Amino acid sequence: MTTPAVNFSGNVKKALAGLRRINLEGLRWRVFDAKGQVLGRLASQIATVIQGKDKPTYTPYREDGDMCIVLNAKDICVTGRKMTDKFYRWHTGYVGHLKERSLKDQLVKDPTEVIRKAVLRMLPRNKLRDDRDRKLRIFPGGEHPFGDRPIEPYVMPPRKVREMRPRARRALIRAQKKSEQQGDSKTRKGRQNEEAKNELSV
Amino acid sequence: MNKKKIFKLAKGFRGRAKNCIRIARERVEKALQYSYRDRRNKKRDMRSLWIERINAGTRLHGVNYGNFMHGLMKENIQLNRKVLSELSMHEPYSFKTLVDVSQNAFPGNKKVDVPPKKEGLAILV
Repeated sequence: MTTPAVNFSGNVKKALAGLRRINLEGLRWRVFDAKGQVLGRLASQIATVIQGKDKPTYTPYREDGDMCIVLNAKDICVTGRKMTDKFYRWHTGYVGHLKERSLKDQLVKDPTEVIRKAVLRMLPRNKLRDDRDRKLRIFPGGEHPFGDRPIEPYVMPPRKVREMRPRARRALIRAQKKSEQQGDSKTRKGRQNEEAKNELSV
Repeated sequence: MNKKKIFKLAKGFRGRAKNCIRIARERVEKALQYSYRDRRNKKRDMRSLWIERINAGTRLHGVNYGNFMHGLMKENIQLNRKVLSELSMHEPYSFKTLVDVSQNAFPGNKKVDVPPKKEGLAILV
């Protein structure tokens, strides 16, 4: 992903905005690849890195997190029915004007906002929050104009899946046995619904 | 004479609280109450800061704070959190040996890895 600034299609000014305000010496540039990652789990890791909580020299009053670059923001995944059912709501200030937009529409309109909102809502609400927002750069595609800096890719830690409760586990086993008996002639939609149900029950 | 003491303690306060005795008296009383409470809170806050630092230091080596402490307790290493956080900040190699000692004593819990299915935008489009 280390392409020079020439190949980057997109707002170079917006990507480099506010870099002068950050004290950049000694900070690493971590690259997160959002392709195929679950939204909340990725956002929580980004929030930890941006706060600087993965360094032993963490100080709560000093802003010391690494610069985070997120690529492929449009390929972010969610479980369950959140793609159509998760709504972003905001109130314009006028009476009765509560607006909402679903995840699907937001991804079409501006995919970087999804990850940005997720990370921002996971940061503590204090005076350092704006500075931390400035350190986060999200790109919908796979290129970024920071090719000339020393870049470190971030390896996501392995997923710790909670052990299923006995009743949910028995239901899953029953569902698996039923699908084996009925064979592979089930429709694609039916299989998706069943797996969505299994995740909702976990 | 009490007013002089109050104004001395009210240095740096905002607005009229540093100049006018009635307001300054209230604010100074509150400030003294806060400082009494915070002398006790400071001990808690420092301990939680040490724990955060140790957590960050051990996670660099793949161990989390809980398992690390459990291993140290098992080996009867009685270093306190203050010293451990200082080691994790300034003496990384010594800290690594401590993490190894703890991992020998307590390797950690078993891992289950069957990640559930997730869907991206491509499925709906």
